[in-house]
Amino acid sequence: MNEKVTFTVDGKQLEGKQGQLLIEACEDSGIHIPRFCWHKRLDPVGMCRMCLVEIDTPRGKALVPSCTTQVSEELIVETESDTVKKAQEGVLEFLLINHPLDCPICDKAGECPLQDQTMAYGPGESRFIEEKRHFEKPIPVSDIVLLDRERCILCARCTRFSDEISGDPLIEFIQRGNKTQVNTFPDEPFKSYFSGNTVQICPVGALTATSYRFKARPWDLKKVSSTCNCCSLGCSVELNVSQNKMLRILGEDNEFTNQGWLSDKGRYNFEYLHSENRLLNIHSRENEDYQTINISDAIEKIKNKIKDLDNPDIKFIIGANSTNEEYFAINKFANSLNRNEFLSKDKSNVYFADDHIYNGYFSEEYTSATFEDLDNSDAIVVWAEDIKDNLPVLFLRIKKAVKNGVKLVVFGHTNTALESLADLYLGAEIVSNNFELKTSLSNIQELKDIIDSKKVTTIIGKSTPLQKKDSLDTLINHLQKVSDLKVFNCFSKANTFGAIQHIDQIKGLNEFCTEYENSNKNIVFTIGANPVNSSFFGSKIKNLLEDTDYVISLDIFKNETTELADLILPTTAFGEKEGTITNMEMRVMKQNKILPDPGSTLSEWEYLIMIAQSLGKDINYDSVNDLNSELASQFTMTEALPTFDNLNKPSNLFGILNQKEINLNIRDIDQDSSSLLMVKRLYGDSSTQINSPSISMLGSERFIELSEFTLDKYGIKSNVATLTQGSSSIFVNIKLNNLLPDNLVLAPINRRGFEKLDSTKDFDLKETKNMKDLSVN
Amino acid sequence: MSWETERLEKAKQIIEMYPQKRSALGPLLYLAQDKDGYISNESIVEISGLIGITEVQVQSVASFYSMYKQEPTGKYLLSVCKSISCEISNSSDVINSVKNFTGLSNNETDDENFFTYESVECIGACGGAPAIQINYETVEGLTPDKAVDLCKWLKEEEPEIVVADELQDKFGGVKSFDWAIADNNGATSPVPGFQTYDTSKEKK
Ligand code: SF4
Ligand code: FES
Ligand code: FES
Repeated sequence: MNEKVTFTVDGKQLEGKQGQLLIEACEDSGIHIPRFCWHKRLDPVGMCRMCLVEIDTPRGKALVPSCTTQVSEELIVETESDTVKKAQEGVLEFLLINHPLDCPICDKAGECPLQDQTMAYGPGESRFIEEKRHFEKPIPVSDIVLLDRERCILCARCTRFSDEISGDPLIEFIQRGNKTQVNTFPDEPFKSYFSGNTVQICPVGALTATSYRFKARPWDLKKVSSTCNCCSLGCSVELNVSQNKMLRILGEDNEFTNQGWLSDKGRYNFEYLHSENRLLNIHSRENEDYQTINISDAIEKIKNKIKDLDNPDIKFIIGANSTNEEYFAINKFANSLNRNEFLSKDKSNVYFADDHIYNGYFSEEYTSATFEDLDNSDAIVVWAEDIKDNLPVLFLRIKKAVKNGVKLVVFGHTNTALESLADLYLGAEIVSNNFELKTSLSNIQELKDIIDSKKVTTIIGKSTPLQKKDSLDTLINHLQKVSDLKVFNCFSKANTFGAIQHIDQIKGLNEFCTEYENSNKNIVFTIGANPVNSSFFGSKIKNLLEDTDYVISLDIFKNETTELADLILPTTAFGEKEGTITNMEMRVMKQNKILPDPGSTLSEWEYLIMIAQSLGKDINYDSVNDLNSELASQFTMTEALPTFDNLNKPSNLFGILNQKEINLNIRDIDQDSSSLLMVKRLYGDSSTQINSPSISMLGSERFIELSEFTLDKYGIKSNVATLTQGSSSIFVNIKLNNLLPDNLVLAPINRRGFEKLDSTKDFDLKETKNMKDLSVN
Repeated sequence: MSWETERLEKAKQIIEMYPQKRSALGPLLYLAQDKDGYISNESIVEISGLIGITEVQVQSVASFYSMYKQEPTGKYLLSVCKSISCEISNSSDVINSVKNFTGLSNNETDDENFFTYESVECIGACGGAPAIQINYETVEGLTPDKAVDLCKWLKEEEPEIVVADELQDKFGGVKSFDWAIADNNGATSPVPGFQTYDTSKEKK
């Protein structure tokens, strides 16, 4: 497969791989052939003919598309001959026949392959005097993507993406000849988690995103590479800023992680940065009201609080959005305030605000996996949260691996979106509604056939916070025994892996509740965390915080937790801070700063270090660089230290794999799940999303999923129902999902209206008769 | 409106003929056309469910081929060939006479939904040019007058099913070749008669 072949291009001897496409082989050797339809990550179609080159054949010279021709030994190619030039001019003249040439009002102008290639290879003038084809300008193909069919050059990049890569072919060519156009079926919009990728790969301005339309000219943009923190995959992105406003995020092709793609959440979740609801000032609670105070008063207040309380009990609840440098600072600071600091590491005072994390499989017994292993395994075994909703680009990687012949086994009830890709879907017959395995795994012949003595990569994690670790232990022990196993611990949120790498020991909110209950309840820092809203222990934590002497919240928006704070410190967000983050492969990647700190915000580490210094602690870091170089030096098994310097080198642009000892100390939640399974969906009511107008509506649909059997059980015939629990009730749309086991109802955890539901309590479901009720709500 | 049981039954039989469900798309579209006289959006939804591809993928194929009608046609679809063999045998006169008689221009249907007129590319009857199709039943060796007679006859008789052999005997001239077997299977507008797919109609 990887045999080398030698061929000649424009008189130069080049080397390529057997079977490689000519256009790609030339590109690798620095010869650029113009193209519109060919894209490295899509199957070739030979649709646009822009890539025509001349090759020698036994019957003389012939023009062939280089995107569908494979290199072969002794192939002789001309890319700049007169014939090729004439062909290129011809192709462009044809493409421009119907193209509106509305570049002055087109968002793509300035970075448009059609514009650029017309300049470079075009005929220079037009002979076309007839009327051009007309279409309504632009039509929405989804809530966030618009299509101007007049500009489309029918390259089929968008349609191939939706079919081959994301697997939701809701856009297609319809009609033919002069009327050919990309379109959706009436009332079936291009509702895809990945639709924004089509906007990025469209070689003209036909597909545009609502969030970027008419906002800027590409030559006015300031750009920097960074790493997305919407989930723990670590997609490489390019941030585009104009006049200190983030206007666009593009996917960068990082071979190791996202391979160019992004989810729409990662791509469009940025407008919140400039929301008028951002916290920009320090708020201090004086009596009932908040007052704006300055930083030195705030530090003074904290210092005095801590001094007054005389050896107070201080706890930290942290979220997943901090950088490694910030976690490193949190760790230093927390340790310095830990009353038990010298006793043992089991007495950590840092608690992580995500109920999904558990002790995981990190010890030396387990070989940790990288995304490349997905492609190189014989089989992938998934038992975790919904991958498509929580790690959307990982879904694309799995889909790609499956397409290339890797077998997929899926356990449980939360990954029904993977069922159509799976060779073996082990749902209700094998996994109980309480996530216990009903059968011994060695008895399942189909599983044996797929995994025994094979190279297996597993993606393993709690499907919901209520799943017990025992069940996962059983699976992993079995896999460990019968296969050559690599492991992904599936913690899906942002920089969770950075937190667990850089904090000596992390506990869960479960531990917080029990330990804090018996403490003096002096001081709690919440840092980028909203445990009151997002946790199983939410109401308990609310009570505990209300009983606390002094609560200090560091956050970017007001939320249910900051409401209980005595002091709110506004922090910087994505794009406003420099640092590193660690993805689920333990790949450390760079996040870059391109926006100024808004208002009087500071980074989390800056606050903590100021407080530490005011207390006379010996924690001295002047810059995030200092933090970075010290934390980098603490890595052990590593190719190169993940310092800013190293990460900024072009060769390390896409991250450096690192290992560090990990110490988690988290108990299972002592509660069985009921028939209400609450799962996190990609879109919801997170404060970042609701403050990003272009995507805020995407998480507004209220729906539940259940099987036909369950639907019948509740006697529901319509597709809307009322879900009642205690005194709260909400209207929901019904989605049938017959992969769900009997008596299980799946509801989104992060949607407006669902926050009052308790997944451990009974509920009732009734058909909604009166449609008017719906519109009221 | 979703498909009636019988049509669904037929659809299932057709799907079973192919190793991959989606390969049945072409014939299923004929079933759809047989139902409404054109490919309705409801039928697209139905087919998409039956073979597991998205609606727009069905629509993509349905709208690509001109013999899948996107709008209802009249009871008799008149397709006059305008390609080269017919053209050199004076098809333009036939075209004009049919257009004049019906008062229709290309791709138009009259107010009574009786005739739809279209001029089409080669219909594979070059040896018997010029040729016309009535609901895809071919008549060869036509003259402009005979073509008008044919239209008049359709007006008067209003046959439920049109059968090529019968039309040929009444209005046609020299045929390209003779199948030698009388074929009683005809068609109703605008579905070509395929026995395999159960869209052909037998004239008793
Ligand atoms: S919309 Fe853009 S990507 Fe899609 S076919 Fe047209 S030019 Fe290509
Ligand atoms: S790039 Fe080769 S035909 Fe379009
Ligand atoms: S040209 Fe008319 S039938 Fe072939």
